[in-house]
Amino acid sequence: MHEMALMEEIVQLIEQDARIKKVKYVKKVELIVGTLSNALPDALQFAFDVYKVQENNCLTTDAELIIHVEKAKAICTICGQQYEPVTKIAQCPTCLLPSGRMVAGETFRILAYEGG
Amino acid sequence: MKITLEVDVLTNNNRAAAFNRQLFEETNTLVINIMSSPGAGKTTILEKTIEALANEYKIGVIEGDLATEKDAERIRTLGAQAVQINTHGGCHLDARMIAAVLPQFDFQHLDILFIENVGNLVCPSGYDLGQQHKVAVLSVPEGNDKIPKYPTMFMRTELVLLNKVDLLPYLDFDVEQAKKDLSYIHPQSKLIPLSAKTGEGMDEWLHWIREGVARCKKQSISQ
Repeated sequence: MHEMALMEEIVQLIEQDARIKKVKYVKKVELIVGTLSNALPDALQFAFDVYKVQENNCLTTDAELIIHVEKAKAICTICGQQYEPVTKIAQCPTCLLPSGRMVAGETFRILAYEGG
Repeated sequence: MKITLEVDVLTNNNRAAAFNRQLFEETNTLVINIMSSPGAGKTTILEKTIEALANEYKIGVIEGDLATEKDAERIRTLGAQAVQINTHGGCHLDARMIAAVLPQFDFQHLDILFIENVGNLVCPSGYDLGQQHKVAVLSVPEGNDKIPKYPTMFMRTELVLLNKVDLLPYLDFDVEQAKKDLSYIHPQSKLIPLSAKTGEGMDEWLHWIREGVARCKKQSISQ
């Protein structure tokens, strides 16, 4: 359940920024999470809900988490085929080799937050 | 008010990792982040490694565990400096935890720093600590399926120490299959079968470390 630790990173980054911009409360957080980023959306939502009820951060109890899922995409370095790998070992469906270069799906970023 | 951030979630970690890396490079210290599941034998391998290299190099160790000073105490009895980090529930070490204890080491006189990560095959692989090398320890009793089942760990480590090979006659571990699985997941990675208990295979691991130290020192000459 490293999503707890990852959510702690997210809350910290937002707090740092909120302090600079004098934002007192946060009502919405938007993330982009790749399907192969090693972070599970459900577990992130659970962690977010845990941090919401803690009093020592700027997330309000009614804060909302929006996760934009980025689908995995790989390009085979041998035949050039584009495909959606299901694991990090990007096995090309044509060459049957783990010859895919991952071009999407590993992103894990905070896009934006909303507050006042 | 909507505020666009567009930052990587691990930004703070990666910033600390860059700070650590710069210190390691400036002081020509070889830093190795060792990861495995609990009980694979990381601490025993470190004990034997320190015993073998104590006359050649000045060695420091950062021990990561949820609780206790037990591992650091084991290392200190060998005369090496060991600093324990307790994560109190955290499943991995992060770069800020490392940065916080670095002032306790005298880097001008240190050749090698081993970081023994928290025993866990999942989370530690996601955090850059600033090290030059990541090593995974896998042990024969854990079974043959760990490499395909925990691909992220084995994709991000360049060397796998297959420990406890003295138990191979009693267990169904297939070393060739493990090598095959590793070469499929990470063709540039290397597997060294060894037993920290009997000393078998330790020479190859020690040779790998000596090469690493030599590379670090060479960089300092060319600078």
